[in-house]
Amino acid sequence: MTTNKIKDRKKKALEKQQNIIDILKDHGAKIYDDLNNGQFPKFSIPSRSVSNIVYDKKLRQYILGNSAALRSSRNSSQLRSFTQLMWLAFFANRLTQEKKSSTLRDVYYSSQAFEIEFEDQSESDNIIVDLEAVLSKPREDFHIFPEERSSIFGDLNIEYTIPGYEGKKMNLSNHPDGYAIGPSLTTAELLDTSAEIVIAIEKGGLFTRFVEEQVDKKFKSIIINTGGQAPRSTRTLLKRLHDEMGLPVIVLTDGDVYGEHIAMVIKSGSANAAHLRELTVPDAKWVGVWATDIEKFKLPTIPMTESDIKRCYDLQSDPRYQEGIWKKELDVFLKIKRKAELEAFSKYGLTNITEKYLPQKLELAKSL
Amino acid sequence: MSTIKEKFNQISPSEFFYRNRDLAGFSNPTRSLYTAVREFVENSLDACDQKGIFPDVHMSIKAVDPEKQDPKPYILTVKDNGPGIESKHVPLAFGTVLYGSKFGLKQARGMFGLGATMAILYGQITTNKPVYVKSSTDGKIQDEFELLLDIQKNKPVIIKHNTKEVTKRGLSVSICLEGDYSKAGSKIKDYVYETSLITPYATITFDDPKGEKFHYSKIVNEMPPAPTIIRPHAHGIDVETIRRMMVESQFEIPNIDDAMIEKVRKDLGLSIKNLSFTGIMDKAKKRWKTLSRPVRVVISLMSFLEMDFDKLNKIRIEDIDVPNKKLYYWDFGDSQSKSVDMDPENPYYKQLTGTVQGETLTTFLTKRFQRIGPSTAVKFAEFAGFKPEKRMGSMTNEELVKLSDSLQKFEDFLSPDPSCLAPLGEEPLEKGMKKFFKPDFCAVIQRPASAYSGFPFIVEMGIAYGGEIRPGGPHVYRYANRIPLLYDEGSDVVLKVVNDTDWTRYKVKGDPPFVIVSHICSTRIPYKTVGKENVADRQEIERELRLGLQFLSRKLAAYMSKRGQAEMAKKRANLYAKYLPLIAQFCTELSGKTKEPNYKKLLEEEIIVDDKQD
Repeated sequence: MTTNKIKDRKKKALEKQQNIIDILKDHGAKIYDDLNNGQFPKFSIPSRSVSNIVYDKKLRQYILGNSAALRSSRNSSQLRSFTQLMWLAFFANRLTQEKKSSTLRDVYYSSQAFEIEFEDQSESDNIIVDLEAVLSKPREDFHIFPEERSSIFGDLNIEYTIPGYEGKKMNLSNHPDGYAIGPSLTTAELLDTSAEIVIAIEKGGLFTRFVEEQVDKKFKSIIINTGGQAPRSTRTLLKRLHDEMGLPVIVLTDGDVYGEHIAMVIKSGSANAAHLRELTVPDAKWVGVWATDIEKFKLPTIPMTESDIKRCYDLQSDPRYQEGIWKKELDVFLKIKRKAELEAFSKYGLTNITEKYLPQKLELAKSL
Repeated sequence: MSTIKEKFNQISPSEFFYRNRDLAGFSNPTRSLYTAVREFVENSLDACDQKGIFPDVHMSIKAVDPEKQDPKPYILTVKDNGPGIESKHVPLAFGTVLYGSKFGLKQARGMFGLGATMAILYGQITTNKPVYVKSSTDGKIQDEFELLLDIQKNKPVIIKHNTKEVTKRGLSVSICLEGDYSKAGSKIKDYVYETSLITPYATITFDDPKGEKFHYSKIVNEMPPAPTIIRPHAHGIDVETIRRMMVESQFEIPNIDDAMIEKVRKDLGLSIKNLSFTGIMDKAKKRWKTLSRPVRVVISLMSFLEMDFDKLNKIRIEDIDVPNKKLYYWDFGDSQSKSVDMDPENPYYKQLTGTVQGETLTTFLTKRFQRIGPSTAVKFAEFAGFKPEKRMGSMTNEELVKLSDSLQKFEDFLSPDPSCLAPLGEEPLEKGMKKFFKPDFCAVIQRPASAYSGFPFIVEMGIAYGGEIRPGGPHVYRYANRIPLLYDEGSDVVLKVVNDTDWTRYKVKGDPPFVIVSHICSTRIPYKTVGKENVADRQEIERELRLGLQFLSRKLAAYMSKRGQAEMAKKRANLYAKYLPLIAQFCTELSGKTKEPNYKKLLEEEIIVDDKQD
């Protein structure tokens, strides 16, 4: 990778940060002027109600429609949540300016230093989502990160940008337990890699197996443990690996309806994050475990629960499940009403999954 | 077959009550002590009310032997500043059952003054001690009696009687009775407390056996007007009452003795002069208008007998046979019964028959009942199927029953005259409630007079909220004729009406500090039980209670929403005062400014802003 390209990327990152700061400042200035002019300030927040969430076929993800709610400080019943939102914008500005990161839980406690009360964390979490919607930016952009549970391993060189580590480089195959995908990694520069593919896998146990079996080397891949439903920082990283490094992304999950949806969220986002646009990898591919694999590989199964079945019916009405393998596999799950976990391959030996199943699927992915 | 010899003994009223003392509330020491307190206090209040005296009642209960376990003998003394009782009436009033002055038709706390005598009787039975009565009607001389009741003979036994010079008028009664204050105490204290609420013009003091003093001073300086005694209403009448009223409406043929003849002579101005029969008649004609009824009757008789005073002296009237128009008399001279025909054309005929047969139906109605005028009386006669001029004396039993039924069914009578009632009045009630409960809000209403079954009644109600009232309301204080009703509230009509109300509709929620006072005044309160603690749900009474409570509830709701608005406005002002400075602080840093924006204008403005969206 050329130095120019890296410089360019650095510049972009800086611009992105400045962009956030500018947007926040604009909002602050407007509210300042309102107060000065004897006007009650207000925020316009895109509505996240179900009726305002629509599927955009072009973007291949859910987006918010045009309706927005006004949160006004004039309305005494909204005054409190207005002030909370105002505070969060103020707090996000500080975080971004100082390049400090924070978690959802942190935010909940930080508020108390400013006489801002949140009933509980879910109230503060909601305000964070409100600010995301107002700014149309994911919270990671203003330095609020989720608790970490996902990790990455593979031959990838990165350079930190967070204070204290600026310029420090790291190869992500140096530590066999993998690297937690946190703020420093999400904001790091991606320098170069020898990998040709990214394998996202649902479970930590399998992630460890894959590292042990040197899947990274054997298949020239970067392995990412999503830890169940992929956190947004992980989805951001997946997107960057795809967009910036040009790597294809495949997803490997349990053979059930939840696994199928984990893959779908990586590919096209969730309704919960319909207000955000930079979290999806539309070209990501789900390679298994499919419902049809259960039969094909004679995997030991367990019966679906009531809620599994209900989930199937729910997804059947989702526009993204109307065609292709998404629809086909969902129908088969409903038909057989049984599911299989990734570990089910262990019935045929611990390395069965990496030696037999994975190569087949990687091959198949090329044609998907 | 055996024959049972039945023996009928007449028992005296005293004995009857002695045997049935449970009925009057003297069933056990707890109840008896409470009932005795009530009877004496109520008598005192009634006596003062009637004379327009602000009552100052002092009641004390002392244990004869404080060390003894309850139940034990107590001395109950009730002293008032009322009119007192004349010396000659004292023994009968306190030593006879069924002696009293409350037989008229008007509102009073007690009905016949029975209860006090019952209390005395009960005291005497349980402790064998006499009753001490001190009475002064003029504030100078006080008569002091020590009395026992002769139960069998229903007669007072005066043990001691002396007089003393005093400076205060009033009555003091002291009895010794078996009681249980440890159980009755809270009841009695409640009774005194609640009585003083409904009698705000009275001062009531209670010294309890434990040495505690409860003193309730007079709160208002007006007495409610005293009730007047009135004639009965047609709707509240029965056959027996009509019969009694007829006795009053018919006139006896006067006994023509020497005294009577003397009176007639005198009234005609013939005390010395002796005139012939025609002379007497001429004289009578001239003076007719000034003559009294008995004299007129005698003149009328003389006109048929055609006798002068001398002859009249020698006979006795036996019968006046109206249908056959004959007058029978006994002649002492001949010692035989004789008769004369009565000519209906004789101008005196009407006088005589009228006397014998009583008033006409219309006169009877207009004179003996309240609120019936001549035209209503005629209309009623038509309705009932009687001739308006039908004489009351000529009514058969069947006709009387028919009359009684019709009186109750006829709907065009005006509603009963409430002047016999003594409601407390809105102002004293409100003052009393404010003083007693120290509420934030108080409203009262006196409903217009209404009637059930011919008995007039008035409902007074009050509602109080907030202030020093304890939560957990509504607390209901029930009164009937200024008597607090303390027990058996479950089945009471007032409670029913209160419980039927959905208070949330009136913005009363949660555990409200909230009091309702209801006062029903009537010449007859329809109690459900002999205990006289709960009022039956007569439809008419229930309706008035409902209307009264609705009126008050609406006022309360208006107050509550005002109170709510004020609270809201205050809350809102606090919110803005709290949050606007924070917003200003945050946006100053966010926008990179150093000086805070001037948001003070908004703080002043927000008061008028309502909750509507922009």
